[in-house]
Amino acid sequence: MEIIQEILKYIGLAFIVMGSIFLFLGALGIYRMPDLYNRLQAGTKASTLGAMSVVLGVGFIQPDWLVKLIIIIVFIGIANPLSSHALARASYRAGIKPYFKKEIDAYGKAVEKQLKKIKKKLQNLNE
Amino acid sequence: MFKKLIVFILIGVIGYMLTVTFSNIPLGENRIGSLDNPETVSAFYLNKSPQDLKVANTITAIVVNFRGFDTLGEVTVLFLAATGLASILYRKEDEEEEENIKHFAHRLNLPSSSLVRTGAKILFPLLLLLGIYVFIHGHLTPGGGFQGGAIIATGFLLMLISYKGFQTNHKVMVWLESLAGLGFVGIGLYGLIAYGSFLQNTGWTGNLNDLISGGLIPLIYIFIGIKVATELTNVLDILLNIKPRKK
Repeated sequence: MEIIQEILKYIGLAFIVMGSIFLFLGALGIYRMPDLYNRLQAGTKASTLGAMSVVLGVGFIQPDWLVKLIIIIVFIGIANPLSSHALARASYRAGIKPYFKKEIDAYGKAVEKQLKKIKKKLQNLNE
Repeated sequence: MFKKLIVFILIGVIGYMLTVTFSNIPLGENRIGSLDNPETVSAFYLNKSPQDLKVANTITAIVVNFRGFDTLGEVTVLFLAATGLASILYRKEDEEEEENIKHFAHRLNLPSSSLVRTGAKILFPLLLLLGIYVFIHGHLTPGGGFQGGAIIATGFLLMLISYKGFQTNHKVMVWLESLAGLGFVGIGLYGLIAYGSFLQNTGWTGNLNDLISGGLIPLIYIFIGIKVATELTNVLDILLNIKPRKK
């Protein structure tokens, strides 16, 4: 039994080291990237994976907590990408332009369509 | 030059005074004393809360039992803040502001994306559950009424942001809030009548680390949790639905 615990401990430590490397890269990306969208992308991807693997590593070291930790991992997996998705959309709607010159702007066209629909509805209501 | 000299002298004086003050404070020493022979207040609390009250979380014992009256005041402050916010935010309509609202209305009225709506639907009941868990276990684990209430309010904030038409049931909210406040004061009065002092705990306390233990402490924290949750939800509701008053 003790050998298995020792092996699990080293697997957990490996996960924690990997997670902290990803978290560090995410922080570096937030510092280094030029505009909001790039920063969001760097921050979200790296910090989701980093936090998940740190929590999983703790689960390997302390197997009693594993169920709770898996719930936390699922929560991070749902909440973290969703929040940055909402942030990105909100900042696009607030009018923040991307840093690089954009050629393809699919979401902009979709927004224009939606805006036109809403404007028509408002006009109909006013009439 | 002269200014810089004065600055240096002032910094020296302040630094000297700080070192003198800090050298008198025994930092890093054990100031609790021994738990068997309590000389300080902290040792008294640390001894008394597990032994006499059977409450594992000493902070809860202090907040709800030893200083329960103070907590009643805090809840009242929160209530007054919510009321004040409601009365201040309904103000007269400006022409400039009206134009701003017209200009941004199209952009702001766009519905949130289906991803956000689905995610909010999944997370909302989980957040409610977590908040209720935190304030029911307030006397066993870290956290308590205020924290649990704040978590529940976060869940409502998520729904209010992601669904434009989401509305809280104001009647239920008002009743819950009033009943929770009444319950808190009622427990206090019960202590006054039965044991002779306001918010006095009962003699029955149960066993340490049980869910139903600690006398009236869990009950009070549940009331505080409901009250904080409804008040914060009302504050968020008011903040998100500011409507300029019609002339």
